[in-house]
Amino acid sequence: MKIEFWGQEFQVNMVVGCIGGFLIAIMSSMFGFGGGPFMVPLMTVALRLPMYLVVGSSLLAIFFNTSVSTMRHYQFGNFDLYFFLAMFPAAILGGYIAPQIAKRVSPLVVKRIACVGLVVLALNLLGVY
Amino acid sequence: MKKRVGIVPWLFAAMVMLFGVNAAVGAEADAQTAGQQAAMAAPTITLDKTEINNGGTIKVSGQAPAGKPVFIEVWAADHTVRANRFDSEKDKDTGKRPYIFYITEEMPAYYKTFVPKELQPKIDAAKKEGKKWSYSALLKDLGADIAYSVPAKTKIESYQSTLMASVIGSRGDLLPAMDEKESRKRSMQLVKARFQSIDKVVAAVVDVKPDGSYTADIKIRDGLAPGKYKIVAVVDKKVKSEVATFENKIAFPMVYLENAGTSLNIFYPFVLSLFVAIFGVLMGAGGGFIMNPLLLALFPALPHTVVAGTVTPTVLFSQGSGIYNYSKIKFINWKLGCGIGTAMLLGGFIGPKLTEMITLDQFKFAFGWILIILAALMLWQTTPGYLAKNKKEQSILKEFKKRAEEAAKGKN
Repeated sequence: MKIEFWGQEFQVNMVVGCIGGFLIAIMSSMFGFGGGPFMVPLMTVALRLPMYLVVGSSLLAIFFNTSVSTMRHYQFGNFDLYFFLAMFPAAILGGYIAPQIAKRVSPLVVKRIACVGLVVLALNLLGVY
Repeated sequence: MKKRVGIVPWLFAAMVMLFGVNAAVGAEADAQTAGQQAAMAAPTITLDKTEINNGGTIKVSGQAPAGKPVFIEVWAADHTVRANRFDSEKDKDTGKRPYIFYITEEMPAYYKTFVPKELQPKIDAAKKEGKKWSYSALLKDLGADIAYSVPAKTKIESYQSTLMASVIGSRGDLLPAMDEKESRKRSMQLVKARFQSIDKVVAAVVDVKPDGSYTADIKIRDGLAPGKYKIVAVVDKKVKSEVATFENKIAFPMVYLENAGTSLNIFYPFVLSLFVAIFGVLMGAGGGFIMNPLLLALFPALPHTVVAGTVTPTVLFSQGSGIYNYSKIKFINWKLGCGIGTAMLLGGFIGPKLTEMITLDQFKFAFGWILIILAALMLWQTTPGYLAKNKKEQSILKEFKKRAEEAAKGKN
């Protein structure tokens, strides 16, 4: 499939994109996360698209997934209103505060801390400790 | 069961007795047990208080027939939760996997059986089996199956799942209602699916004296459903005390989560969510990746379905605002986004169904590996090679963004 973005044309392998997107969507909706960190590498590495094209479009693709999975989770009674009301304002507030902090910290450091944090969490889930 | 049936042949035998001695011998034995049954007085039950605040200890005492073990059944009467289980274990006889999905909406939000202290070793033995412990086997082993009554009465729906049904995201075909015995058996599996650990469903705390008097310190942990709890002492299937009631009170900021079946301090998820959201933006991954496992680790009482189902909409809004911001500067390729979005739409339709079908342990296991992959991806993004490439990409990104913003402004 050919797409045009800001005056440039890109050739996109939609088969790979759709299969990858489908699998990521199952996984992310199943476990309740966004899926951005998987979609971005899929689109940049597997589809060879430039970053500036990917940032917005991947978000749009993920939005489809998240809205449907929200609906489905709600339908299955997995949604808890009070719990949501406790987290939602905090998430919005966090979204405002974060850019202020982002100016002061190096993304490299954050990513490395995140790495360690994720591994610790993963080991906890896997029951290692 | 045995005793109820026993009376009928006895009456029959009483008539037959006039004609033959043989029949009368058997009848005599039956008559004796039936007599004993009637003589066994129902135990009494007294609670030292009728109110606790977000958990606490209730002293239960009473008098039961001497020499009989006393079991105490406690359940939350005001709140029920959903319990579900997907049966995909191989049938021992046929070797076929049943793929049946069991679900009930009526599981008490709290259910626990307290057994005599002497039975502690049996509980310990069951714990050694790890996650594969069987609730029904444990109850039987403890002799506590006679006290198992409340969850057995819940209405359980069962669905025959098929691959096709899973693909379109339905639960499958509703199977006809189960008979009492089957329902009881399945309800036990659901109790385990819901409450997970042995400590949550049984405890050996009842102190029975030789004369039949008993005392027990019933500990109700914090973070449980509010409202009335019912408690009953059981010595035999039909020999039960009256139902005593106590109330568990919770006050703000403790809030009961109806779907999760637990109460928790509402500020905890707020603070947690705030930190996770900030960190999520900084590391460039949605907060869901950290939020879900953190919630599971910190609040083990929350079911994974509710965690996943509630975090998802939280993520939704930040995505929405992101899209809005990008679309203002025309930084979204709608064709590409919608194309891959369609595929993701289908995936998003199936995913939540699968959440329901897996157990907490499977959920944790899979999520654990996903996080490790994510950590590897993050690590890769900090390698020098990637950084060099990324720097170029980022500068192009910034350049384009600037142009896009200027273009958007120009129009206005």
